[in-house]
Amino acid sequence: MIDIFERKQIADGVFFNRITDRRFKANRINVSLFTEFEALSRADCALAAYALSECCALYPDYSKLSAALLDLYDASISTATSSRWNMRCTEIVGSALDDRYALSGEKLERELAQLMCECLFRPKAENGAFDEKVTEMMRAELIDSIDSVINDKSRYAAYRAAQTAYIGEADELPPTGSREDALKVTAKSAFEAYRKILETARVEIFAAGCSDFKETEEIFAREFSAINRSCTITELGCKPSALKEKPAYAEDRFDMQQAILRMYFKAPEIKDLEANFLLARILGGMTTSRFFTNIREKQSLCYYCASFTDRSKRALVCYAGIEPKNKKRTEEAILKELRDICENGVTDEEILSAKLELRTQYKAIYDSAAGLLQWYLTMLANEKILSPEEFMETLESVTSDRIRDVARQYSLDTVYTLCGKDDEE
Amino acid sequence: MIEKIYDKITGETCLKYVHQSGTEIYMLPMEGYSSATAQFTVKFGSQDNSFRTSSGEYVKIPDGTAHYLEHKLFESEEKDAFSLFAQTGASCNAGTSFDYTQYYFGCTDKFTENLEILLDFVASPYFTEENVEKERGIIAQEITMYRDNPSWRVFTNLLEALYEKNPVRLDIAGTVESISQITPKTLYDCYDAFYNPSNMFLCVAGNFNPEDVCRVCEEKLRAGKIHSVETEPFDEPYAVSKKITRLSMPVAKPIFELGFKRSAVYGMDEIKDYIYFNLLFDMIFGESSEFYEKMRENGLLNDEWNVGVFSGRGHLFPTARGESDKPELIIEEMQRLIREFKKTPPSKTLFERVKKATYGSLIRDFNNVSSVASTLTEAALGGVSPFAAINTAASADYETLLEKLESLDEENASISIVENKE
Repeated sequence: MIDIFERKQIADGVFFNRITDRRFKANRINVSLFTEFEALSRADCALAAYALSECCALYPDYSKLSAALLDLYDASISTATSSRWNMRCTEIVGSALDDRYALSGEKLERELAQLMCECLFRPKAENGAFDEKVTEMMRAELIDSIDSVINDKSRYAAYRAAQTAYIGEADELPPTGSREDALKVTAKSAFEAYRKILETARVEIFAAGCSDFKETEEIFAREFSAINRSCTITELGCKPSALKEKPAYAEDRFDMQQAILRMYFKAPEIKDLEANFLLARILGGMTTSRFFTNIREKQSLCYYCASFTDRSKRALVCYAGIEPKNKKRTEEAILKELRDICENGVTDEEILSAKLELRTQYKAIYDSAAGLLQWYLTMLANEKILSPEEFMETLESVTSDRIRDVARQYSLDTVYTLCGKDDEE
Repeated sequence: MIEKIYDKITGETCLKYVHQSGTEIYMLPMEGYSSATAQFTVKFGSQDNSFRTSSGEYVKIPDGTAHYLEHKLFESEEKDAFSLFAQTGASCNAGTSFDYTQYYFGCTDKFTENLEILLDFVASPYFTEENVEKERGIIAQEITMYRDNPSWRVFTNLLEALYEKNPVRLDIAGTVESISQITPKTLYDCYDAFYNPSNMFLCVAGNFNPEDVCRVCEEKLRAGKIHSVETEPFDEPYAVSKKITRLSMPVAKPIFELGFKRSAVYGMDEIKDYIYFNLLFDMIFGESSEFYEKMRENGLLNDEWNVGVFSGRGHLFPTARGESDKPELIIEEMQRLIREFKKTPPSKTLFERVKKATYGSLIRDFNNVSSVASTLTEAALGGVSPFAAINTAASADYETLLEKLESLDEENASISIVENKE
């Protein structure tokens, strides 16, 4: 497989990452701005991100900006605030059809990059504040978004469990902040947060698709160079979550029928990340996993039971949708599966299945511009940037003993349950 | 014989081959791609809740049977399908919709071996009292999971409100009560009725050799008497069953979905309705519309707003969903606007803008392997060319759009609301 990834610095703390493959029919540009959570109010930054994709000085309301995007053959621009590597990631993402499909010779990639820059560098603002009307609308929508976590029970369970599992850490709170914080945001405070992000963030621009992205690179280099920047973040990387002295138990009750169980195991000192990765797959990350085979298929305890590893936090998260009466049994069944690996390791067949499934997944990443973009973005926290194939090669040498050794380092940290109001204790 | 279907707009060529059993096979090789996906689809979904026996009588099926059968088909007397695919590294899954059930895999290696596994396991039902009973608890859990999901509930309640007889109004997985009636015999009877090769088709996209597909199909598909399956006809009234339906469950803000009921259309008529009503709703209610701007400014809608068309075998309706403290006002305003646009149509400039965007969006469907396979499947389900939608969008004309607008009965609509009772 040809390595199609290129990376270079284009301004102070600004890196341009290019992934070119002519097979694709569309192009995608992703600008990620990393800042520390402590430095700025979560709600101010979240509202600023909302405001950037709502309108800009050139297209001063949403309908005009949307019309401009429709004219670019349904191009899209969106913004989001998330947590990545315990840092705030403010993202502006754009995508457009490749120029060769434009019916009248339009330069869609260039126009998309320019439009993204209009949104990012020239928002609708004056006198050091976002437009008041826009701020009011964005505040209401930010509050709706914060409140709406209860609409999705799995998301709500993850949000509430994190408050116990990551207490005192950056991810204890959602990246967008609380409803109370959102109520306090003003047009001025959000604009100040926006300027701070622009002036101090570590910026990673990714362009993926069929273009060579030379124009996109030039456009963003010009824009960022025109700003007086002082980037303080030099490294993006892992911040292991602290293990509690004894496991914490938390529960919420809701008007619902199915209960959700989430269990967090932590191993802050873990070094063997490859074996750790395979452990999570074999436990609950594939269709022949222990959880699927033993807990769902053999014991019929749940519809789903799965696990994943949070590489940055050195945490192993297991979760299941269960009948409330089966809560204790499922919890014990999960512990039993982990214990079994600690004692006996895994079978050769399990390792082979996990490696084969991962090989398929990693090779398939090359078929999606968005997949490649996400892959290389994630790789920024790695000591060395590896292609999907190179990463797969590092997994080949993992053995049952290594998986067992990793499993032994994990300790139970948090058990969280979301269940119905009338369910038995 | 393999038929080549070339499309000028996308530059893609789809290959069509009809096996002697009646199974249609659609293939779209994608040069330079690493992965391939195959979707094996049977026209048996939750809405197929009866079938006609050889004696001419209609047999009623418990709600949720198609979905139950999908769960059970992965098992066999020896190794289940998941284990077989695990040996090749392919990912596999299945899904049941209102009008079809689909089994599929994605792989980067051993394509023909995976295709053999897929065709074999779908052709080898193995239902026992024990394994059917074991699945009941798992499916009951799946049902309760969906019952806790307000987005799903608002949608299924809308279907119940729009349709009085059309079985699309039934929940895909059935109810805990209805699945308690399902036995191995129910599953075998339905398998024999619906899983006949002429009621199935295979769609493949990505990195594969079409000759391998044809060879595996020749080896694995059962050649037999081609027969069609009939479900009990129903007489769906023109009018909606209920104008409004409400449900209380925990949500932050009321969620609503509304639909404008239309008579069922098939084949190219369905594609046309699908494209034109998408264009129309994007123009007058979409994100760039004055309607949406005004509603947001007045705090009546937020950024959770989607318009589109929901369609399948025997059902199609333009729809919109969002969050609002006053959902009834939204539907009233939409109905008023439709009346107004019938008198003063939206501009041709706006039509051209939205048409261009729709074209762009459909081209992008040919950008990755799984969405290409899904495009082939959707076309095969509708009995049209894989490129029918993109060509209809590219050649859409303003006059037809106005005809569609005129044909829309804005009063024949339902709204489903999920709100917090507390």
